[in-house]
Amino acid sequence: MTEEVESLIRKDYAAGFHSSIESETLPPGLNEDVIRFISAKKGEPEWLLEWRLKAFRSWQEMEEPTWAHVHYPEIDFQAVSYYSAPKSMDSKPKSLDEVDPELLATYEKLGIPLHEQEMLAGVAVDAVFDSVSVVTTFREKLLEAGVIFCPISEAVHKYPELIKQYLGSVVPQKDNFYAALNSAVFSDGSFVYIPKGVRCPMELSTYFRINEMNTGQFERTLIVADEGSYVSYLEGCTAPMRDENQLHAAVVELVALDNAQIKYSTVQNWYPGNAEGKGGIYNFVTKRGVAHTNAKISWTQVETGSAVTWKYPSCILKGDNSVGEFYSVALTNNFQQADTGTKMIHLGKNTRSTIVAKGISAGRSDSAYRGLVRINPGAEGGRNYTQCDSLLIGDRCGAHTFPYIESKNPSAVVEHEATTSKVSDDQLFLCQQRGLDAEKAVSMIVNGFCREVFKELPMEFAVEAGKLLEVSLEGSVG
Amino acid sequence: MTDFQQTALELAAEQQTPVWLAALREQGASTWAAAAWPGRKTEHWKYISLAPLQQCEQLGWSSESDDVALDAVEQVELDAIRLVFVDGRFNAARSSALPAGVVRFADANTEQQALIQQHLGKVVDSERHLFAALSNAWAADGVLLHVAPGHKLEKPVYIVNVSTAQANPVAASQRVLVVLEENAEAELIEHYASDSASQNGFVNSLTEVVVGNNAQVQHYRINLEQEDLLHVGGVHVNLQRDARFHGFTLAQGSRLKRIDYQVNMLGEGAHLELNGVYLPRNRQVIDYHTNVEHCVPHCTSNEVFRGIIGDSAKAIFNGRIHIHPQAQKTLAELSNKNLLTSRTAEINTKPELEIYADDVRCAHGATISQLDETSLYYLQSRGVTKADAITMLSFGFINELLNQVPEQAVQDYLRPRLVSLFGQPSEMVGQIGYE
Repeated sequence: MTEEVESLIRKDYAAGFHSSIESETLPPGLNEDVIRFISAKKGEPEWLLEWRLKAFRSWQEMEEPTWAHVHYPEIDFQAVSYYSAPKSMDSKPKSLDEVDPELLATYEKLGIPLHEQEMLAGVAVDAVFDSVSVVTTFREKLLEAGVIFCPISEAVHKYPELIKQYLGSVVPQKDNFYAALNSAVFSDGSFVYIPKGVRCPMELSTYFRINEMNTGQFERTLIVADEGSYVSYLEGCTAPMRDENQLHAAVVELVALDNAQIKYSTVQNWYPGNAEGKGGIYNFVTKRGVAHTNAKISWTQVETGSAVTWKYPSCILKGDNSVGEFYSVALTNNFQQADTGTKMIHLGKNTRSTIVAKGISAGRSDSAYRGLVRINPGAEGGRNYTQCDSLLIGDRCGAHTFPYIESKNPSAVVEHEATTSKVSDDQLFLCQQRGLDAEKAVSMIVNGFCREVFKELPMEFAVEAGKLLEVSLEGSVG
Repeated sequence: MTDFQQTALELAAEQQTPVWLAALREQGASTWAAAAWPGRKTEHWKYISLAPLQQCEQLGWSSESDDVALDAVEQVELDAIRLVFVDGRFNAARSSALPAGVVRFADANTEQQALIQQHLGKVVDSERHLFAALSNAWAADGVLLHVAPGHKLEKPVYIVNVSTAQANPVAASQRVLVVLEENAEAELIEHYASDSASQNGFVNSLTEVVVGNNAQVQHYRINLEQEDLLHVGGVHVNLQRDARFHGFTLAQGSRLKRIDYQVNMLGEGAHLELNGVYLPRNRQVIDYHTNVEHCVPHCTSNEVFRGIIGDSAKAIFNGRIHIHPQAQKTLAELSNKNLLTSRTAEINTKPELEIYADDVRCAHGATISQLDETSLYYLQSRGVTKADAITMLSFGFINELLNQVPEQAVQDYLRPRLVSLFGQPSEMVGQIGYE
């Protein structure tokens, strides 16, 4: 590759700045005292502390999973700080006017204004900064419709029955290594409850920001859509540029009761590390939803950030006629590694699932699709369609596909298709012949390649995702 | 070490073997003894339980060749160089005279011994294939097929392996080594059979094939065994420049049948064509693993596997294609289609792609379903009974692959067997889903 192109690859990560905000950060290390501290800090009830400790004890006995197609140095879990909060948040500001202006400036800079009047109409935002939720907008308006949208730490106090009933009901404490760790130390995150028959009047969104050094972020999101309700939820994330790797281990639980619909979209743009593969976020996330009778859960994700991604948003299609969807674009460049995909567990009759996964690898990166489609004996008439395509840009990257397909019911129909190729010379030639330069042409072809997924994203996000892709790919055409 | 590992080593000690195989045997035994026994968490043994092996008590070598059992097994009608083994022991009376180039390890001259030593156990990676290590530890007799540069074996080589029912379970180890020099050509048919459904012996078979520049080989592996046999086998192939491997495999029977195909593309322009069929029923378990290593540019591979799984049977298919960084301009395809015909049948399939080169075209597909309802309806609307329609469609599903088999005799042998298999009404018809 020419030097010119090399320099283009080294383009800046726009969200890579660090805000100097005075924080209260726990010293690195993890033991029961740390968990007690976090729990006390949040003023949690006794049962939740016990719940955390139970998770911690099982985590201690668990082994870090090694089956994913990713390589990274061993993580020292005792070198991570498990709690960090801006000092100014101690006083619990009542309104936006009381929030530290520096904090607001950070979000301003990220293009997430928290002043309601400036917001894109129809999107409510919960902003999570390191371990705490800074502000949640449009709460009153949402409450009018009966929709609860608040930090999970607050929900523990205000809606203990709901939390008690649903927390850990989809992803149990012992589910896997990172979920157990998260259950032990989770600090904040969003809680959403949509009452029966309510169509949430606006898009809900959480914006995650890691700021402090040496901290991990362990947020927990719980969304409960009661019978016949609908909600669309967006998630975005960024972090400063640092040479050290930082850990992000989140858990997302979705519960779609009878006839409910949840649409969950993610644009993940954690710091991916520099062009030499130094630094970046380790993104080890457990996301899972349970769909009851006639319910629908739809995951859409655009993964462009993180040094290492380990993430499998899944659907348990428990109720008859329930539907699961997974649309994903995973883009890796430089030394990024992604092992991502989904699980569709068909339990109920006539359950349907669709998987569309697009992987784009450039530079020296590796991206893998790993998926499981399981048709249980009771999933009469189950149906799955899976399509995963990979695009390779450059000859030093890798693209992999590991689909597990298991069927125990003869009336179910499962289809899986995967292809891998590079950007076709013919397509490139055609575009160039029409006057587009190579870079634009590739960008256009890649956008076309991802179109099926982008069209599932809410409008503003789709635009952002398209741009993100352009930026991340810049310079990888040689 | 598990009980079975221990038993297997004791069995190795009982064998009388030529000195020149001692090094390989020793190396195999130590790898086998040191290996961790695969369990549910071992990726490539995830869906198949080796418990039947551990339960296989009093396993021993057979003491004599049983001609009666041999008559119970029908062979492919073919003018071929025939080698018959019963429970792993060579049966000279039923075998034909061997031409130069085809020889049993036991009769190999010094030159052939050197050739065997050069290649045996070298194509297969026994660190990655546990039962290859066992095969090395058990290496005693076997068949060498060596074709000199530019020569073509005028007749196919047909190796028949029959397992017989004995008072105690019988172990058998079969080893085949094929070495084709430049521009050579050969055809090899391996046929595994057993004479009784109530017999639970263990067969460990391993075939290694070295295909030289521009040489080509047709290879068949027919596993038509009865109900209770345990069989672990492997076919490992090295393809040099412009070499071609045309393989066909069919499997039925066995409480536990695991067959690995590993093809290494080592020279540019090599081509692999591999078709497979598995038809487990009753309580059979059949597990096919294929792995194609594209190590150099300009190679092509095409794999098609189809299965019909009935009753309480279970099938596993794992097809891996690995494109190394330098293997540009590779074309690799894999298709796996399955029919589930019973509520208690199970299929686990995993087509894998691992790609490190950009200028390649790779695709895989997998489907699982039951017979197409509209096709069934169409046939019935033409006056065909439902039972016959099911037989016809099931047969047609497999026949597509059978039609591509170049050796007519193999087609003729398998076709009536498949028709009668699908025609057995109690098994397929009346299953829920077809009512």
